[in-house]
Amino acid sequence: MNRKKDKGFESPRPYKLTHQAVCINNINFQRKSVIGYVELTIFPTVVNLNRIKLNSKQCRIYRVRVNDLEAPFIYNDPTLEVCHHESKQNLNYFSSAYTAAVTAVDPDAGNGELCIKVPSELWKQGDEMKVLKVYIEFSLDQPKGGLHFVVPNVEGSMAERGAHIFSFGNQNSTRFWFPCVDSYSELCTWKLEFTVDASMVAVSCGDLLETVYTHDMRKKTFHYMLPIPTAAPNISLAVGPFEILVDPYMHEVTHFCLPQLLPLLKHSMSFLHEIFEFYEEILTCRYPYACFKTVFVDEAYMQVSAYASMSIFSTNLLHSAMIIDQTPLTRRCLAQALAQQFFGCFISRMSWADEWVLKGISGYIYGLYLKKTFGVNEYRHWIKEELDKIVEYELKMGGVLLHPTFCGVKEKDNPTPHLHFSIKHPHTLSWEYYKMFQCKAHLVMRLIENRISMEFMLQVFNKLLSLASTASSQKYQSHMWSQMLVSTSSFLKSISNVSGKDIGPLIKQWVDQSAVVKFYGSFAFNRKRNVLELEIRQDYTSSGTQKYVGPIKVTVQELDGSFNHTLQIEENSLKHDIPCHSKSRRNKKKKIPLMNGEEVDMDLSAMDADSPLLWIRIDPDMSILRKVEFEQADFMWQYQLRYERDVVAQVEAISALERYPTPASRLALTDILEQEQCFYRVRIQACFCLAKIANAMVSTWTGPPAMKSLFTRMFCCKTCPNIVKTNNFINFQSYFLQKTMPVAMALLRDVQNLCPKEVLNFILDLIKYNDNRKNKFSDNYYRAELIDALTNSLTPAISISNEVRTVDNLNADVRLILEEITRFLNMEKLLPSYRNTITVSCLRAVRMLQKNGHIPSDPGLFKSYAEYGHFVDVRVAALEAVVDYTRVDRSSEDLQWLLDMVHNDPTHYIRHKILSMLCKNPPFTKAEAADSSLCNEALVDQLWKLMNSGTSQDWRLRCDAVNLYYTLFGLMRPSCLPLPELGLVLNLKEKKAVLNPTIKPESGSAGADLTPGMGFQASMKEELLILETPISTVATPNQGLKRKLDTPLGSPPEPGQVLPDEPSSKVPLKSRYPTQDEEDIDMDTVHDSQAFIYHQLNMLERPSTPGKEPPSVEPVLLPMPAMPLPMFSKESSGSSKHGEHQHHHHHHEHKKKKKKHKHKHKHKHKHESKDKEKERDARGFSNSPASGHSLRSPSLSD
Amino acid sequence: MADPAVVSGSLNSRSGGSKAVAGPAENYVLARRRTLQVVVSSLLTENGYESAEKAAVESLTEMMQSYITEIGRCAKAYCEHTARITPTLPDVVVTLIEMGFNVDTLPVYAKRSQRMVITAPPITNAPVVAKALSTGQKRSHPSHIPSYFPEFPDPHTYIKTPTFREPVSEYQVVREKAASQRRDVERALTRFMAKTGETQSLFKDDLTTFPLIAPRPSTIPYLSALLPSELELQALEETDSSEQDDQTDSENNPNNIVSDDPGADKENSVLPSGGVVPTVKSSEENVIDNPYLRPVKKPKVRRKK
Repeated sequence: MNRKKDKGFESPRPYKLTHQAVCINNINFQRKSVIGYVELTIFPTVVNLNRIKLNSKQCRIYRVRVNDLEAPFIYNDPTLEVCHHESKQNLNYFSSAYTAAVTAVDPDAGNGELCIKVPSELWKQGDEMKVLKVYIEFSLDQPKGGLHFVVPNVEGSMAERGAHIFSFGNQNSTRFWFPCVDSYSELCTWKLEFTVDASMVAVSCGDLLETVYTHDMRKKTFHYMLPIPTAAPNISLAVGPFEILVDPYMHEVTHFCLPQLLPLLKHSMSFLHEIFEFYEEILTCRYPYACFKTVFVDEAYMQVSAYASMSIFSTNLLHSAMIIDQTPLTRRCLAQALAQQFFGCFISRMSWADEWVLKGISGYIYGLYLKKTFGVNEYRHWIKEELDKIVEYELKMGGVLLHPTFCGVKEKDNPTPHLHFSIKHPHTLSWEYYKMFQCKAHLVMRLIENRISMEFMLQVFNKLLSLASTASSQKYQSHMWSQMLVSTSSFLKSISNVSGKDIGPLIKQWVDQSAVVKFYGSFAFNRKRNVLELEIRQDYTSSGTQKYVGPIKVTVQELDGSFNHTLQIEENSLKHDIPCHSKSRRNKKKKIPLMNGEEVDMDLSAMDADSPLLWIRIDPDMSILRKVEFEQADFMWQYQLRYERDVVAQVEAISALERYPTPASRLALTDILEQEQCFYRVRIQACFCLAKIANAMVSTWTGPPAMKSLFTRMFCCKTCPNIVKTNNFINFQSYFLQKTMPVAMALLRDVQNLCPKEVLNFILDLIKYNDNRKNKFSDNYYRAELIDALTNSLTPAISISNEVRTVDNLNADVRLILEEITRFLNMEKLLPSYRNTITVSCLRAVRMLQKNGHIPSDPGLFKSYAEYGHFVDVRVAALEAVVDYTRVDRSSEDLQWLLDMVHNDPTHYIRHKILSMLCKNPPFTKAEAADSSLCNEALVDQLWKLMNSGTSQDWRLRCDAVNLYYTLFGLMRPSCLPLPELGLVLNLKEKKAVLNPTIKPESGSAGADLTPGMGFQASMKEELLILETPISTVATPNQGLKRKLDTPLGSPPEPGQVLPDEPSSKVPLKSRYPTQDEEDIDMDTVHDSQAFIYHQLNMLERPSTPGKEPPSVEPVLLPMPAMPLPMFSKESSGSSKHGEHQHHHHHHEHKKKKKKHKHKHKHKHKHESKDKEKERDARGFSNSPASGHSLRSPSLSD
Repeated sequence: MADPAVVSGSLNSRSGGSKAVAGPAENYVLARRRTLQVVVSSLLTENGYESAEKAAVESLTEMMQSYITEIGRCAKAYCEHTARITPTLPDVVVTLIEMGFNVDTLPVYAKRSQRMVITAPPITNAPVVAKALSTGQKRSHPSHIPSYFPEFPDPHTYIKTPTFREPVSEYQVVREKAASQRRDVERALTRFMAKTGETQSLFKDDLTTFPLIAPRPSTIPYLSALLPSELELQALEETDSSEQDDQTDSENNPNNIVSDDPGADKENSVLPSGGVVPTVKSSEENVIDNPYLRPVKKPKVRRKK
């Protein structure tokens, strides 16, 4: 099919998918298994389509049929184990290998794990329009990714237990639960069928056509039809005994929650229709799907995941009417999910490089929603926060690139050399980076809006949507469907068509380039010329910064009013002269006009008599992604805080005032605090700033501790000022202030650097007199913050030579604090608070007590709270404490405990969280690695194994592991590893004991026992590898030797490089290698291929250390004479099954044998010179998990 | 005879009979009762009994006493009904008639031959009714009331007598008290829970000073973490009934949420929401066409493969 160039989309596949049916006919909660089949309807777009590559991970595939003919297939997933070669262990190497592995199965490159050979009968059927139906039967057993089973361990039927299952994943992860083309750019219509227990509900994408009982009436089948072309990654499923709530405002919207939560669901969802109305109105487009479903599940992977016509949320977003703090958060989540329905689900992307458009638009319209619902202040504050976040991240970690272009050349011109991962694929991205990516995307959309106006912006969106909906209604003309894909260029074209403006420079600056701008500003007032001389410098040399050239807005508030000036930032111009409008005249008593037209009286006594300038703001509209460090006098900041009406300016002023601890700053902050009209977030920030200022002024501070009298006036009884009023949180602004002030006050310190007794007693009194009986809202967050205040008041204990901390020598104040914490923590067991906020705060407090040396440091308490079965917030808080303990006390035992949890915990979120907390608060860093006792080879091996193979079922987790590895060891080979050269010279078996006492000895001996047989097999396997699998070529010993010295990547053949030019996988998928066809076929029968898959899956279950491997040495091989030593290789631990398999297909190999021999000889040459020791060395290494890799990914080596 | 003091006295004697020391009032009552017992015994003898169990005699005495007391009470009531203070014979007669006693038979019975003569009870002075409370000055009649009218009753019956201390209404003290009370209750409760269950301690050497109840993993942790506790719901209910907000009560009543009817749900009170409940909603309720509410179909005979 000829694709028109202007459509801009070229499918990487030699066929077009039009329809896919997914049928899951059995879900077993007990065994956590799923059985089903899929049927893909495809139109070949080339003559002689003989290979079909699909995506599938962890599915066990029983049979494949193409148009009712059994078809052989091959399953190869190089991402299961990224590096087969062991001694490398440097991250540079891993990253490129991982990128290569992901590319090798990337559907956007036309690749896939599953390669199906079209039966030859169907080959030369001529017409390209001939439909092929690919039918695949599969099952999933205890899936580690893609589908998550939540099966509470209680009595009763699965429905009574609230057992449920849902799909999840980071980006395109649908391949984890059924075979598909797991690409956002391959759209098709869907028929989905799920047979579940009669007590359960199956919620999936599209319209529920009917629900039919099975014949035994014990199960029912849900039939879904999704007529709108949708990409496989947007398909999801949730099954459970859900309670059903039809939205009272929109009957086509249905909400689902777990049993007993219906009241919460009703309350939480009572707002959704407004979000719907808002989006439909601004986009002037109806919600594209006929229905919408929200499902709230436990142990959710992410808080919000959007899929076609449904969203899966964390059940923890549900709340009752009594909860204040969660309400806006939940509404935000709903709004995000809904924005992604339009952009992300309905409109999909052409390639990964276009992801920013979708994330940008959905983030942008979500922002509009925030503005409408929560107000302009909230919106601007949010934009400011997001801007600060991205700026901080980019300055620290290096640039975030929205639109990576990979113009053919590989690693050499990596657009992001500063990163330790590749941004070529969503699956190689660090999670943190991806979050920042989304943040930047919506900020850039806002910049575009600034440039072309919101009206045009919405027109563009509307155009995209209406094009897509026209395309979606076109049945069977699948080439039209590519209009539902957005690409950067099509988006930009729409913008220029609609607005007629050229936004090229903007796009180039922020989209095609990474990094942000860093401005330094200062000014002088020239009285003679009545001119403001503004100097704006840029730092564009440090990491994460770029140079900005273009307009910049400067707002100057003068006595006569506020004036905007647009300056042009050019190459070399630093100084800008801005003429002032007013003469300094402060004696005339006159109101001063502000930007918003308001006129106010100001006390001008503070200002410079010669200058008419009140304050200056650079880029007040945040229309550049920048950080501005601007210098102006303290009184100018104070004026800005008091009189500038923009919350962003106020926030900036507050952070600037931290540097000016003067009574005037104090007064300005106090006034803001008291001002009811002021935005509450500004007031909250003022609290913390005031605390800092008070601490800086401690010697000159007069009067009661900061904020105390203010709090008393606002929240305490008139008659008895030491008693707080009974809670009434009806006014949310003052509620938030009431919550925050004690927390900020607790940060006050006296001259001895202790929290003033007065403040501590005050907080204790607040706790004591807290009375919520008459309040219609829950005070759980308030009480939690009071505990946080206690935590903040803690200061390090006066330590007397490491004495053991006992109850008796407890400080009296600390005793009081501990008393409160004990009581709160115990009361939580009896009357748990919403989301266990109080437990969370108590755990943090206990950790703080430990850290400050008041009570003995011990992770035991936290470990018990971190166990599976506690509420997730509690677990995270407890884990955070353990992570902190691990760092402070350098406890390898606890680090091990954490890593074990990463391996074993049933909740994906927790596993992710542990790793990211370890990254944030690492037990040691690259710099300290040399001194840390924690840094040893065993740890390196463990982490290596974790990222290499242990996390293959969860992209996010794998990237977390990579991050941690990077944090701990950096890009190079970890220093605690013995130098590879050393191993060559020395007898490693003995040497190693000296170098790495941590290596488990028993695995060593076991490894040695197995060596003869294994060595032999491995060597055979290795030959196969050389010949057959391009991916594993990297891992062959000869390269390993060459690259021992951490050479930067690129010179030896990289997997990614090899793959495209020599489709050496024995399955060249493209028909441009028709001559190889006969050799391609490894498995002549379906039987063989099934056996293969089965066997590969089996292998995955096995432990990867050779020592633990069942010593089932292949009997056929044992009697064979041992091979010459040089044949031993680092692949020594290959599994015996491989050998068996090879034997099986021996007859195939005849032809190849000769080639192999050649290789073998080459091999020998290299090896022989280095002789035995090296082999020993290799075996020695094989003890470590990362080196001995029996866990091989199923390779194409049959 | 029909002195109300007897009634109360006899009651006293029964309850306090076992007391070793008896006051003069009790002596008086005991004597009367003994006489009554003698009367009952003699009546029994008269009727031909040779012996009677003590308990039986006691019961009969009790019945007799009740009867006589009732006569006295009624007679007094009659007399007071006619605005007199001393009962007269007619009062007693009416009473007896009222109680179903044939008065005509009384003279005959009184003059029966075999009646036994019983010695009068020993003369003990009727106990002086102690002045219950001597508070204040006994008031004499004001000049416009003739002296023949009864005297004023004892002052304690009409003057305000403070019998309790003024409740502490001072705000500070109340709050203080409520706070410390709650704290004590909480502490006692948690200590109890800690004593009866597994605990953890922050100090290795001291397990009792700050006992922490050990956390127990729950199988469905989100339920307790998300659902408001009953106490909170109850409190909310109370707040709602006590404080009438501008919103109608039903909007916040958690009971409402529990109802299964999706249409009845309109609580939007937490954040201002501009949502207006569709007016047609209630009428439409019955015709919601949502695929998840449709009945499950029976399997077709031809099974789909």
